[in-house]
Amino acid sequence: MTGSLLRLDNVTKRFRGLVATNDVSLEVPEGAICSLIGPNGAGKSTIFNLITGYLPLSAGEIRFGGRRIDGLSTRAVSQLGLARAFQIAKPFPDLSVEDNVRIGALFGRSGPRDVAQVTAEALTLCGLDPLIERQALGLTVGNLRRLELARAIAARPLLLLADEPCAGLNPSETDEIIDILRSIRDRGITVLLVEHDMGAVMRVSDTIFVLDAGRKIAEGPPAEIAGNPEVIAAYLGTPVAEAGSA
Amino acid sequence: MTIFLQTLADGIVLGGIYSLAAVGFSLIFGVMGVVNLTHGIFVLCGAYGALIVWQGLGIDPLLGIPLVMAVLFVVGYAYQRTLISWAVARSSLLATLLLTFGVALMLRNIMVLVFSPDIQSITPSYAFSFFRIGALTFDLVRISALGASLALLLLLALVLNRTGLGRVIRATAQQELGARLCGVNVQHVYGLTFGVSAAFAGAAGVIIGIVLPFSPPDEVPWTINAFVVVVLGGIGSPAGALLGGLLLGVASTMTSAFIGPAFPNVMTFLILVLMLLLRPHGILGNAFAGSR
Amino acid sequence: MLTQGIRRYRWWILASAVALVVLLFLPGLMSAFHTRVAQLILMSAGLALAWSILGGFSGYWSFGHTAFIGVGAFGAALLETKVDLGGPAANLVVGLLFAGLVSGVLALVIAYPLLRLRGIYFAIAMLGVSQVLGELVATLDWFQGSLGIVLPRLAPRDIEPQVFYYYLFLGLAVLTLVIGFAIKVGRIGYGLIAVREDEDTAAMMGVPTEAYKIFVFVISAVLTGMIGAAYAHSLGYITGESVFRVDFSLNMIVYALLGGIGTLAGPIIGAVIMVVLTQVLLGDLLDIHMLATGALLAVLVLLAPKGILGSVQGLLRSRRSPPRASKPAAGEAPP
Repeated sequence: MTGSLLRLDNVTKRFRGLVATNDVSLEVPEGAICSLIGPNGAGKSTIFNLITGYLPLSAGEIRFGGRRIDGLSTRAVSQLGLARAFQIAKPFPDLSVEDNVRIGALFGRSGPRDVAQVTAEALTLCGLDPLIERQALGLTVGNLRRLELARAIAARPLLLLADEPCAGLNPSETDEIIDILRSIRDRGITVLLVEHDMGAVMRVSDTIFVLDAGRKIAEGPPAEIAGNPEVIAAYLGTPVAEAGSA
Repeated sequence: MTIFLQTLADGIVLGGIYSLAAVGFSLIFGVMGVVNLTHGIFVLCGAYGALIVWQGLGIDPLLGIPLVMAVLFVVGYAYQRTLISWAVARSSLLATLLLTFGVALMLRNIMVLVFSPDIQSITPSYAFSFFRIGALTFDLVRISALGASLALLLLLALVLNRTGLGRVIRATAQQELGARLCGVNVQHVYGLTFGVSAAFAGAAGVIIGIVLPFSPPDEVPWTINAFVVVVLGGIGSPAGALLGGLLLGVASTMTSAFIGPAFPNVMTFLILVLMLLLRPHGILGNAFAGSR
Repeated sequence: MLTQGIRRYRWWILASAVALVVLLFLPGLMSAFHTRVAQLILMSAGLALAWSILGGFSGYWSFGHTAFIGVGAFGAALLETKVDLGGPAANLVVGLLFAGLVSGVLALVIAYPLLRLRGIYFAIAMLGVSQVLGELVATLDWFQGSLGIVLPRLAPRDIEPQVFYYYLFLGLAVLTLVIGFAIKVGRIGYGLIAVREDEDTAAMMGVPTEAYKIFVFVISAVLTGMIGAAYAHSLGYITGESVFRVDFSLNMIVYALLGGIGTLAGPIIGAVIMVVLTQVLLGDLLDIHMLATGALLAVLVLLAPKGILGSVQGLLRSRRSPPRASKPAAGEAPP
């Protein structure tokens, strides 16, 4: 291993005529928090769907821990240690917060060992202790995002794919999510983030990848990206006040 | 060879009637995603309506079609606006399966009480005339039934494709939220769809009443036939219903002639299960809302 | 996990044990008619529970579970009439096991393709399977489905048949309940809840969705087949029509839905209410039997889509204020 946990080589995805992801290569080093940013339609979510096996590749290779994972089923990918937290949180609505996280722990990478302990740790890490008996259905958006993260890390993944964990949250809730992401990283879980909240991205990321119209146009630490003229052009070329999903 | 051609011809005639009997079911499934297990009851309502018109009023049953359609349109509209929409709002689409099943049981029971469980048939003056083309025999009643079916299917296709109502129905089927945002009263459109569906089922029922004997338990096969036709031809279009109906009709007469008279039902279900597994969106593959 | 489950549901288990003791002594106190009603309740509860292991837990609603009743009934009947097993006790044990085996093998064969269909499509495909099997049994001479089969007598001479079958159905219902409980509180139970709520997310979380679905489908079929064989014996004479019945398929769903879908207590409660209602209260009104059943079904869907348990739970939950101080709701949820 070269220290990169996840590696995309020349990944391309075409939907009929549309090229959603065009020859993208990137490496996520182990133990880092990396972010994928870009205007709406840049191909960020497509890349997540490709990594998790929701969509087949048109061309290219995806390696996880040195092993090819393109072509594997979503379940097989998750068993290798890759967890995804969705932007539109998809907890099981009729279950309690605790049971939601418990399912994550029960079917995680290393099987049903220490389920109670792993569940409790994930709940604490994401600040959900006061809510464990609540039904997921009635939670606020902020708490749903925490639950989504807790459920993902209860599976004890090596890599967490977090899809816009801060979308629609107020500044203090955003800060809390950033803290949670940092403590997840501190526990040895690598994080790949898709996020629209630039403030959050700049604060939390070690490396940022910028996509535009399916291509990677820049890569580097936050300070470098913030000053990159191509990135600024890409963002100014589209409406600045984006609210929707990628 | 003559037997084969005669069987084929019989199958096509029967298939035309199947198509008309299924088109309304297909429309509801396509537009709302609801599987209406009351459909067979609507068909039988048409048949009993024809019986009343013929016996009670002494009018040719085919002339009763507009009346039957009008009545069933109103019934269908009311049914959707009350029970169906309530069930969809309160629980799930799967629950509408149970609701429509329950209503079908009730109505079938009422039919038994009103019309007796006996098998009925309608025999207008032209019931037993036939004509020949070459070696093939054609039953005059069945040919006129086929003609009426095709005419009504064409009418429905024109309504759906050429009128404002049809455009609104198709728009609602494809993008319910979008239609709502454009100011479409979606519940009203659903009601109209149910009304149209019931009306065409009733028209098919009139024709079936002239061609075949019928009794209250027949609602089950007519509902299932409609489902098979939809699965064969695809959801939501008169053309698909026509294709599915013709295939089912031919498959059914062929099975009866060449495998054994007891097997058409087995064949119907075998086709149903195999089609669901192999091509769940029908041969033409034009499913929309119902394909979830 | 089993011990945790037992601890979590200890009050329900205790109540069930008490109920079981009462049920064991009940036939001595009841008239023949009431014993027959009780026998029907136990059979219905067992069937609804067996259906729920698939439909309630995984969300795959079978509209054709009578296929397994029929296959189990004919499997046992054909085996017992064509092979001399040596006495009623052997007929009972071997017949039931064979019925379970045949149903299970059938389920295993059709599981993979059918369980790829979802929602309405799975429901209707199962309806199709049951109709095809029913028609085949009725038309092919080998099955003797149209002529019918007389089954060998199982009940010993000194026991009333209704009492014998009361205990047989009680045993099968308890077996189904225990298996259902073990599945529900185990890892597989949580996996199935995930499948029911959102199958794609479940797969993403690492739940072996395919394997779990097939497992409960087969278990459900085995139990349904065994109850079907017992039913065949209780009738004494079966035809294709008497065991491949659409209303059996429907009733299993109705009982589970009425009591509370996804629970184990629900199907039992539903079976008790519906059988008492239809057999005792409406027993004389055969003319409007379908009307009443249909009306009840419609009312149920419209007014209590979550069943009796679900509605009661909903009421309790909404009464309970403030939410933060809420007691462990899950601990009180019915198993």
